[in-house]
Amino acid sequence: MITFGKGNLRIPRLSRSVYVVAAGMTNFRKFYPEKQTVELCLEAMRMAVVDGLGMEPKKFKEFVNFCVYSQFADHFGDQLLAAAKIHDYIGLDPLGNIEVKTGGATGGSSFLAGVMAIASGYASCVPVIGWERMDEVDTRQGNAYIASAACKDFESELGWSYTTYYALMMRRYLREYHPARETLAKIAQKNHHYAGFSPYSQLPGDYSLEEIMNSKIVSDPLTFPECCVMSTGAACLILADEDTAFRLTDRPVKVIGIGSGSHTLRAADRRDMPVLLLPHETPEMYKDRKSDWPGFTGFLAARFAAYLAYHMAGIHNPVHELDILETHDAFTVSDIQTYEDIGLRPYGRGAEFVESGECYLGGKLPTNLSGGLIGSMHAVGATGIFQLAEIFWQLRSEWDKFHADEKYWRMYGKTKPKDFQSLQVPGAKRGMAISHAGTGSHVTAAILHRGWSYDK
Amino acid sequence: MTSKKRTKVIISEDYAEKLAKEWFKEKIPPEFLVRLNRKEILHAHSYGGLSRFFKELTEGILCGTKCPDCGGPKGNIWLPPRVHCPDCWREMSWVKVNTEGAKIYTHSMTNYPGAGFKGSVPCPLISVEIPGVCTKPMSYLSEFAEGEPYIGMPVRPVFRTKNPTYTILDLSWVPVN
Repeated sequence: MITFGKGNLRIPRLSRSVYVVAAGMTNFRKFYPEKQTVELCLEAMRMAVVDGLGMEPKKFKEFVNFCVYSQFADHFGDQLLAAAKIHDYIGLDPLGNIEVKTGGATGGSSFLAGVMAIASGYASCVPVIGWERMDEVDTRQGNAYIASAACKDFESELGWSYTTYYALMMRRYLREYHPARETLAKIAQKNHHYAGFSPYSQLPGDYSLEEIMNSKIVSDPLTFPECCVMSTGAACLILADEDTAFRLTDRPVKVIGIGSGSHTLRAADRRDMPVLLLPHETPEMYKDRKSDWPGFTGFLAARFAAYLAYHMAGIHNPVHELDILETHDAFTVSDIQTYEDIGLRPYGRGAEFVESGECYLGGKLPTNLSGGLIGSMHAVGATGIFQLAEIFWQLRSEWDKFHADEKYWRMYGKTKPKDFQSLQVPGAKRGMAISHAGTGSHVTAAILHRGWSYDK
Repeated sequence: MTSKKRTKVIISEDYAEKLAKEWFKEKIPPEFLVRLNRKEILHAHSYGGLSRFFKELTEGILCGTKCPDCGGPKGNIWLPPRVHCPDCWREMSWVKVNTEGAKIYTHSMTNYPGAGFKGSVPCPLISVEIPGVCTKPMSYLSEFAEGEPYIGMPVRPVFRTKNPTYTILDLSWVPVN
């Protein structure tokens, strides 16, 4: 769709307030032979309910009336209807449940489904549980399974690798906007570094920019440290209506904006169109634009999701009005593209968000303090939920509780680093997570705000 | 009373190796069983209304589709083709694509493709910009020299007419000169 009707741009509205009351996750690993998927999901839920809400599971379960399950690919787990096994394993039968699938954005879409269930009045307490078991097949087969989410007729055979599809975008991005190559490497450096402070992370590390840029090239120009990990693990969120939320916790986090967008599965099919402007943008900003939009350098799905979420939440300038951000940094290039799609900088100037220091802890909008997909995890169905879990903890000033406590490091057989640093953003009130699929086929933008002092 | 003759259920012999000792170069702790499940699966995938496109590739013809209703004077050929116009849902018409002026829009040399890739590596994957075509189809450059491919490089299509794969790999591009 390249022209919009009035109905297409309608801003979503929730019929009643929706809150997040708890979050949980497992650690994420390349290979996790010690636990089955059901065990991982139960452990994530136990963290949310026991460590988060401080409740006995049996008592908590009395509140639940619906569930949303989030898994990207049945191929990986090799178990269709895996949700039924998990639902049974955590003892929630005969409550209704659905499983959501939108590729890499599955976590974000599952969250949206949970929000809809509560906002509509259908349900009052909904766990949203995501996982991916990516370790049954080797990495080459894993890449082929992921590339099964490209067009099987016209794309998959061409490399069976999403890294290549993003490398095509990266080459174009470098050509159109001329960012310093180092700026992209800095995104990988940052996220591997922040992953070092998370007991849940899979690939922490402190790398020099030279090490990142001189690493083996997967598909040029993308090097290994610039690509996301492939993980096994689980994450969950518990959503509730206002009445239930305040019975479960005195500090629930409110959903104040949520948008979802889409674009052609094949990047090849993206026709040139006028830039869809965000609340703080003007047509003058793009009047001299020479290249196609969104072309291979922007994601219409991300722009559309942000457009809806910002209008819904009343956000005019995201860098100033958000305190924390989690992006879907599957690749360094997709991250910088997303900065522009969600309006942190105008198109072509995403590099400034990194070079200004705004994306780091202490900057105006710290981004991917979780370590992101490059440093911490990409167990696909869990990813969007993991991002929101990290934001939830930040907004409740609980980052330390769930990262600094030695007990979590020990639980996963890890040693807390000697140079451990708290990544809690002081006083963070509002955060956003971007969940992203394919080469931008589905994107969701979810904005959370402290619910206990929020008086909008 | 005569004793019943009972039939035994036989589990077929499986000669494949059954348990993994290591995976991802990690030794598996002996208390956990990791079974290797081999799969060989055949799918019969139909190209449906796009069959013509793949058949014509094997005959050295590159076709796209054009909407009789929404098609403007330029930039309206779909390649990959679609049977239906995404805007008005009418059936589109097949047209032969004139590839004169085709050039590389973007490219990437892939070194580590996923399992199932049938080409040799390194393999230069490309997106192609073709005058009169509103899309930028993904393909590969099947002949390349030092410094190739590059953005803006003029290319022409070549077709695998002998021993075709009946996949999009039957179409590739080579430098014009």
